[in-house]
Parts: sequence; C-alpha cells; structure tokens
Amino acid sequence: MEKKRIGWFCSYTPIELIEAAGFAPYGIREDSGYSHEDVYLGDSICSYVRSCLGGALAGSYDFLAGVVITHSCECMRRLYDGWHFKQEDIAPECIYFVDVPRVYNEGSTAYFAKQLQRFKENLEQRYGLISEERLIETIKKYNLTRDLFNRVLELRKQDNPPVSGVEVARLISESMTMERDEFNHKLEAFIVEKEGASGNPGPRIMIFGGPTDASLAKLIEGSGGVVVYENMCNGLRYNDMLVDFDEGPVSGIARRYLRKNPCPRMLGTHADHGLEEIRRLVDIFRIDGIVYHSIKFCANLQFMAGIVKSEFNVGVPMKIIESDIGSEIDGREIRSFIKNLCHKVAGKEGPRK
Amino acid sequence: MAENTEQRKVQFKNFLALLGIGEEAGDDYIKSRFSGPADGLKASQKRGRLLAEQFIRCYNKTKDCSEKYQFVAWRSLFMPTEIMYAMDVMPFTTEMVAAQLAIMGCQIDRIETAEENHFSQDLCSFIRTAVGSVIEDIFPMPDILITSTHLCDPSAKFGGYASMKYKRPEFVLDVPYGLYGGVYEEDVKRIEEGVDYLSQQYKDLVRFITENTGVEFHEEKLKQVIEWSNQARKWLKMGNEFAYYTGTPTIKGSKDIDYASNLMQTWGTEEIVDVYRARYEEFVRSAESGVPVPDKPRIHWYHLKPYYKNNLLSYIEEHVRIVSSMVNYMYWDEMDPEDPFRSLARKTLMIPAYCPVSVRAEVAKKWMIEGDGIIAFYPKSCRHFHSSARIEAEIFKKANFPYLAIDGDCIDNRGDDFAIMQTRVDRFIKSMRKIK
Repeated sequence: MEKKRIGWFCSYTPIELIEAAGFAPYGIREDSGYSHEDVYLGDSICSYVRSCLGGALAGSYDFLAGVVITHSCECMRRLYDGWHFKQEDIAPECIYFVDVPRVYNEGSTAYFAKQLQRFKENLEQRYGLISEERLIETIKKYNLTRDLFNRVLELRKQDNPPVSGVEVARLISESMTMERDEFNHKLEAFIVEKEGASGNPGPRIMIFGGPTDASLAKLIEGSGGVVVYENMCNGLRYNDMLVDFDEGPVSGIARRYLRKNPCPRMLGTHADHGLEEIRRLVDIFRIDGIVYHSIKFCANLQFMAGIVKSEFNVGVPMKIIESDIGSEIDGREIRSFIKNLCHKVAGKEGPRK
Repeated sequence: MAENTEQRKVQFKNFLALLGIGEEAGDDYIKSRFSGPADGLKASQKRGRLLAEQFIRCYNKTKDCSEKYQFVAWRSLFMPTEIMYAMDVMPFTTEMVAAQLAIMGCQIDRIETAEENHFSQDLCSFIRTAVGSVIEDIFPMPDILITSTHLCDPSAKFGGYASMKYKRPEFVLDVPYGLYGGVYEEDVKRIEEGVDYLSQQYKDLVRFITENTGVEFHEEKLKQVIEWSNQARKWLKMGNEFAYYTGTPTIKGSKDIDYASNLMQTWGTEEIVDVYRARYEEFVRSAESGVPVPDKPRIHWYHLKPYYKNNLLSYIEEHVRIVSSMVNYMYWDEMDPEDPFRSLARKTLMIPAYCPVSVRAEVAKKWMIEGDGIIAFYPKSCRHFHSSARIEAEIFKKANFPYLAIDGDCIDNRGDDFAIMQTRVDRFIKSMRKIK
C-alpha cells in the first residue's frame, strides 16, 4: 500500500522524522504551484512562497496528508501564517512549524535538537511512537541517497563529465517526491550506467540559488555549458552531508541540518563558511563560471548577491540573474555569459577539435 | 584603536560633506547644540540631544568637541543595548541613521550607490541606505558588530556584510521565533528553553566584547543599567496608557512615532529615564490645562512612517488623531536586576512583532478600544510587515477595527505618489467617520 505523504518546502526540513513517522516526505517543488500564484501574501513575498500558498488554495496539494513548514526566512514565516489563516480553505493541515536557528555552533545545535525532539513528540502524538531503531533505519536510507549523490559528484569532477546538469536536476526533483528505497535503486542504476561513459565538453558551471527553476540547467547546457554543481536549495545543498549517529539520531539530524552547506539564510561564521565553500567547490570542480540565480524578493539571496559581487571574490566570472519562479529566464543573458566563457576556456586550452 | 581613530576622522569629514559643511562649521554646530543645559527642554528635545550626543561619540567627538576614543558596536535594529551600556560600548544603529539621512534628504544618493554595487532594489531601503553609506565610508568605524536575527532578514545579513567590509568581528544573537503569547504548558516549556538559549548567548556576548575590546564586565554595572531600563519602561508605559485611555491634547502621533522606543538604542541609559518621564509629565500637564482633546477619529499606527519630506502624516492628522503606535507599545515585563541575563533574554524573546501575524493582531485587539482605527504604513521592501496586510485586514475587520494598509516607503521616495495615498486615506477616513 502506498504511504501517505506529508509535504515540505525548505531544505532545512528534517524529512527523516517525517518518514520515520510512517509517511513519505513530499518536497513541494518550484514548479508545483506557479500557475496559480497567490496574491494573499502580497507581492513583496518571494514567488516560491506565493506559488506554494497559491497551490494550496487552488487544491494542488490536496493529495497530501499534511505539510510541515520551517521558519527559515521571512517569506517562509508568512507561508505558515497564510496557511494557518486560510486552513479552512486548504485541505492538507499544517501539522508543524519548525523554528530553525540561523547560526551553527554547539549552543544552536543543542537548541535545535530540543525543537526537533518536540517535533518528533508531536508526530508521535498524532501517528504513534517513532522507535529509535526506525529513526536510525530511516536516517541510513537518507544517508545512502546523500552518499549516492556524492558518487554522482565524483563523476562530475572528470573532464567532460558523463552526467549532465539536466539529468541531475531531474534526479534531484525525483528525490524530493519518490519513495526513498525506489529512488535509491534508481540513482544507483544511473551511476552504474554513467561510470565509464563519455561526457559533455564545455565550460563547467556552478548554479547558485534558492529553489531555482529547473529550466536553468537546460538553458545553460543548451548554450554550450555543462552544469557540474548545483549549490541550490533544490540542488545538492539539500543532499550534501550525512547524518552522524554518534550523538544520537535527533541530535545528529539537528547538527546535519545546521552544518550543511548553508543557504544564504545562515549568519555569522557559518555564512562565512558558505562563501568559502563556493571557492572550495570552484577549485574542486574546476568551475569556469557561476550562474547566480536569485528569486526576486528573497532578501537573503539578493543580499548575498551584493556581497559576492562587491566584497567576496569567488575566483571565476559570475552572472547574476533575477527572476520569479514562474517567469521565463532571459536566455540571451545566459547564452552570452556561456559564450564568453567558451572563448575564455578555448583561450586557456587552445583550439578545440 | 589607532586605525579606528584615524578612519573615524575621515568618516566624520565624509559625513559633514553630505551636509555641505567643513570640520570647523561642524565643530561650531556641535558646540552650539550642546551649549545649554538639558533641563527645561521638551521630552522630544531631550531625546534628540541624547541621540545627537551618542552619534558624535561614535566618531570620538565629545560635546565640547574634544576627541575621546569610544568603543562602538554597530547594532541591528532590535538588538537590546543594555549589555553594551554596561560595558561602555556605544551602539550605532545603522537603520536609525538611515532614517536620519532621509530626514536630511541625503538618502537617495546612498541608495543608488548600493544599487550600483549589486544590492537589489527589492531590499529594504533602510538597509540599502546603510549599504551605500558603508561603501561611501560615511559611518564611524565599528570596533565590533552585534546583530540579532530578529526581525528581518536584510538587517541580519547587513551585519555580516559590514563585518567583512571593515574586517571587524561580528556577534550574532540567534533569537527563537514566535514565543510571545504562549500560555499552554507546552508553550511555557518552549519559552523557558528559549530563555536558556538566549541567556547563554548573552553571556557569550559579554565574553565577545571583552575579547575584542578589552573591556571588563562588572555585573553590578549591568544591574544598574537594568534598573534604568526598568524605570524608563515604567514612564514610557504610563505615558502610552495616559495618552490612549485618558487622552491628552499634547500628543501629536506623527511626532510620537519618532520615539520608536521598541527599536531605540537608548535602553539602559540614565538619560532615557528622564526623557520618558518628561514625556509622561507633558501629557498629564496638558490634559490638566483644560484644553479640549480634539474630537476626531482615533488611530493606532502600525510600523514606521516616511522619513523623507512628505505631506502624508500632516494630511492624515488633519482628519484623525494618532493616539498610539506599534513602535512605542510596551510589550515586555519589568526585568529582574538580580537575574540580568535571563531577564534580558525574556525581554528579547517576548516580542509580539516576531510572532505570527495573528498573535500580533491579538495583542492590538486586547488593549485597543473597539472602533478605533489602525493605519499601517508598510514599505513594500519590508517583507515582514508588508506581507501581513491582507491577513491583518481580515482579522481587524472581524474585530470591528477599521484598518488601512498604505503601501509606501520610509526612506526611498523615488516612487512616492501622494495623490494615490491621499485617495486611500480619504476613503478610509470617510468610513471611520461613519463608524464614529
């Protein structure tokens, strides 16, 4: 029998707890609600959140048993408000609102672990006990996914990587909605198929962004680039680190989510780490250029765009583009950026055959 | 310190250049500003004098224009200031200075500087002004930066940017969300966890300040600061309640919003006690003077106001009385000087504005007199407040509080359209009169 599904929105949602409670976590994607964008929250809120609430009001998520919202930024905070306020008109209940610290240190990890313990207890009150064994088993499944994505990343470090950004975007999208064991099998099979395969030439691109439009990878690769890293909320930021069991499963989950490659929502030393991480990834993946995609009205992404353009040298050319979730990305800007990178790469390597 | 001293001299010159004056004229202005005694001034004048002195101290200037080094902490708008005063560190609130630049008509160039440097037009205009001021090197060099995660994202991100720009250390106070108003056992447990978490961070803040300035912490001093903060709180609350429930012809809401006490950097100074006491006494004196309170619809003001030159507030006040405001609402309990860190943590946590919209609206509903109206002035660049308008409108409609949300901007007047706002205000006032 198919499991009931609980929706989630942000890469800071501890989805292991949802699955351990007997549900299939279902990631509300960037493309799920944009055709009926909400006006309820006003136009100063990012289009992802507006589309999520719009989708909820229009019945797009009626197949869900509930949703979990995280307090990850000022827009997500209003998604909770809107959902809560219009709950009578929305089928899936908002079952929990998780407050997520914005710094990573021992104090915030301990505090977050307490909040997750409370979330776990809430799930248990609703759906029955979550045993430690079941939670650990679930974490192992999710760790396997992360391990497998790390293997995909290894393939992408090669010259002419055999894996395209379009393929990875599709896999990530599936990982957010498919049953976990089934997805892990699929991902494993994909890796086996790709190992030793020939790959795609072209400037190596990192996409940096939030819940970015999946068409971006297609545009980049259609213009001659190859996406080798998705530093995005609906990219590898959601899959980058494993949960460590040493300190107990709930604390391990808390640490993993706060410590992972940060979204621009994070502050202090971990935000600095996020910037350094861009440079590190540029080196490791020999990235030629970064496409920075900022959703309009995401203050964190927009502010960070100013920082990386004016204060922090990422070491390679960077193109900043802004758009709404549902609006078309300006292909000319991408093509021109990739074309320039092609010239640059060709200049570095000599004429290509 | 030597580097900061030299740089602040340059930055002060840069600031004066905005006003079109040189150092000599600047010194003359400072001397004249502080030549007389503070006694006998009106409450708002006392407040202005205090803020002006704090401002020049951040550039190492004293009231008599001599030079004296001052440790300066750039502080985000909602970061409590008591620990800073207990450690002789002067807070410098960039958003407040952004408002001042708008009053002076100097904001747009700063905003455009920020935008030219890839800071999006969608970002909060207070913060764009601050970013532009950093790029133009107008603000005084910080020794440290102290940022809290509440209420809004751009303010929190700005601290990290300025820290990087000036290569000065930043402390981030991580404030849990949504704890105000909790009454159930489970809520109380959450609140206490939040208090534990925050009070530990305040202790870490003390260590951070000592490590980066060398200033030693003395708990006795913090207790004194907490005492002053409590006294100021008492007078502010008495003034608010008197103005709202008893009524006084003195209060001019558009000016009273300027106290913006919730976000002000003066909590913990001895002077602010005197300011709020003077405000209360002015209200009482004028109520006793026999001058009638004008018979106009009464308004509670939400959020801030346009700081650039504009006619909106004076137009509104021709027709209604602004008798209270969100930014002056006293929401926290008296603190316990014997338990300063936990008290401060509780004060920081229990803020209705950093809660779901429904909680915030409940607070207003509880103490407002039914039939009084609400005008919310929400900048579109403020996601936190602007996005609340529709939910608030529905909540207040059910509670019989007429509600008007005006789209505007506090700082950036490039899209200002008074005619549109006027139409909306006219319609609202008409409906208010019907109710009255």
